[in-house]
Amino acid sequence: MNSGGWEKKVSDILAAMVDGDNGADGKRRDLAVGLSAGLLAVIGAGILLFAYLRPPALTFSESLPGMDGRSPTAPGIEKTVRLGDLFEKGDGAPSLLPGTWPRFRGADFSNIAPVSAPLAESWGTQGPPVLWTVNLGEGHAGAAVANGRVYVMDYDEQRRADLLRCFSLDDGKEIWRRGYTVPVKRNHGMSRTVPAVSGKVVVSMGPRCHVMGVAADTGDFLWGRDLEREMGTRTPDWYTGQCPLIDGDVAVLAPCGTNVLMMGINCADGKTVWTTPLPGKWLMSHTSIAPATIGGKRMYIYAAINGLAGVSAEPEDRGALLWQTEVWKPAVIVPSPVVLPDGRIFLTAGYGAGSLVLKVTREADRFTVREVKTFGPRDGLASEQQTPVFFQGCLFAVLPKDAGPNRNQFACADPEGNILWTSGKETRFGMGPLMVAGDRFLILDDQAVLTMARATSDGFQPMARARILDGQDAWAPFALAGTRLLLRDSRRMACVELGVSPSAARNMRALP
Amino acid sequence: MKTLNQNLTRREFLRGIGRYSLLGLLGWLGLTLGRGLRRGKGTEYVWQIDPEKCTQCGRCATACVLSPSAVKCVHAYVVCGYCNLCGGYHQPNTKTPDTAAENQLCPTAALRRRFIEEPYYQYDVDEALCIGCAKCVKGCGSFGNGSLFLQVRHDRCANCNECAIAAQCPGEAFARVRRSRPYRLRGGVA
Repeated sequence: MNSGGWEKKVSDILAAMVDGDNGADGKRRDLAVGLSAGLLAVIGAGILLFAYLRPPALTFSESLPGMDGRSPTAPGIEKTVRLGDLFEKGDGAPSLLPGTWPRFRGADFSNIAPVSAPLAESWGTQGPPVLWTVNLGEGHAGAAVANGRVYVMDYDEQRRADLLRCFSLDDGKEIWRRGYTVPVKRNHGMSRTVPAVSGKVVVSMGPRCHVMGVAADTGDFLWGRDLEREMGTRTPDWYTGQCPLIDGDVAVLAPCGTNVLMMGINCADGKTVWTTPLPGKWLMSHTSIAPATIGGKRMYIYAAINGLAGVSAEPEDRGALLWQTEVWKPAVIVPSPVVLPDGRIFLTAGYGAGSLVLKVTREADRFTVREVKTFGPRDGLASEQQTPVFFQGCLFAVLPKDAGPNRNQFACADPEGNILWTSGKETRFGMGPLMVAGDRFLILDDQAVLTMARATSDGFQPMARARILDGQDAWAPFALAGTRLLLRDSRRMACVELGVSPSAARNMRALP
Repeated sequence: MKTLNQNLTRREFLRGIGRYSLLGLLGWLGLTLGRGLRRGKGTEYVWQIDPEKCTQCGRCATACVLSPSAVKCVHAYVVCGYCNLCGGYHQPNTKTPDTAAENQLCPTAALRRRFIEEPYYQYDVDEALCIGCAKCVKGCGSFGNGSLFLQVRHDRCANCNECAIAAQCPGEAFARVRRSRPYRLRGGVA
């Protein structure tokens, strides 16, 4: 039968292959092998052709930079900003009350304030007296206080203007406001820096790195600098959080621009008196310059994005780069460096970065820096937004959201970040400020609930707790002048009396 | 050939209308009942995740009887900060917050980033690509406002009596909710 012919041939060929016949069957075997190889080659070529014509990755698409529809060139501020051209005088008058808080973290950058009078032991059900409140634009800018005046950086959304506002410490009435028109949109708030005041000058930094020097008493405009335009600074996401530092008669800033890491500006005329070259591809962070003394030498320490540096603050070589390292490079850094007495520097950041302890040592005129310890937010003290406080040989901070079971708890740690105790899972806070006032801790949570606790490294000892404002995101740093505490939520600032005589303070509230 | 008008009396006409109307009504009732039974297997409750209890452990992606999972990331736009650097979209420590693949956190590129205006960016979830791994949810919670969170999508969920994910959920975030309010949203809307 024809139908069985090919089957017989195949079986013969296979038999020949098995038997190893080299005759006519051998030819058939060779033919079969050749045919099989040819068939395989055709199938393989077919697969390759199919893969070529319809590649499996055909439905994939590349994900490249710029696919979000944004122009590759970042738009700057089109018009030149006329710094200082806005001014209004109010009907407030400076207070005669004592107390000063000249800049971010206080005069010695420790966030530890001596108090001029005893503080109340408790607040009762009413909470501490709120002497006055003022409305502000959405932001997280804290206050500086000097000579009975409260200075706050603010943004007026209707006028689209940065404003340095000066209030009376007595009653919160506005004395003057000085500013300039600049477009700033809400981006988790707008203003977020604390001015610095020294002698006759107050120096402010706006959200987009516009710096003003203003007469502290009258509000007269002295000078202005635009760090974006002049220095090539890239304003950080959510706007700058760098608070100016005044050292003597020089304002110290870290523009981290095209070529300059740090610069000194004469407070009187706004001219640059020294600069420090940029050591690498560093960018401005949200941190502020920390003044410190290591190995007997005064220096300014700045944690930029991509690096950390120490710059001389001594008159003979002011501005000289003493040391630098790139071991600390989170993408976002908000807490400033905490310099410990033995040359150790505690660095921390949120968003999973954790903390790093460095040690800076001096050998003759040479400084070296080495890494002591690094750890994640679950493994030791860390902070997302507020700079930890070093007090009684320990570090204190509110742990970040990603600290695991200890998240948002107030914590005490040794200088290397090993946690000694926390406030417990029933007592959590947020990203609000903390400070030491005399023998008290003051801690604010996101909803402006103020907690007072005994300032000790022996454990969390709460004393009083009260909600001060009704708003949200109460993240601005505290300012304490005498016994008056200035705090704010995203929209309002309040002056709270912490003194031992609340009734007297309440009476003061009625004063004009 | 007979015409309709020639053979149809008024009574027959009305009877026919009544008969076909009754048939149509019965059919509609049957379809509605069948659809309801198929969708809910006769229950008034469906499974849902409480975003406040979710620990972003990642088991929603692997424990579901469906592949990909019926759990998807959803976005409460009213809670979002529309940031350039987004903890839900970008890898931790990203220095150049853009759309480059190496900077994205989502393993399936299910989160899309779109420039709105300086300095705002919108982030949208492509549910067809989302596997419910919760990497973006974790990033958003630790970095941002927590506007990204997981929800059981009821157009996919088989609504098993014993939910395989609920059995493994370490945060006990799964619970039955009424079918009439099947989602547990953040910010009031999603």
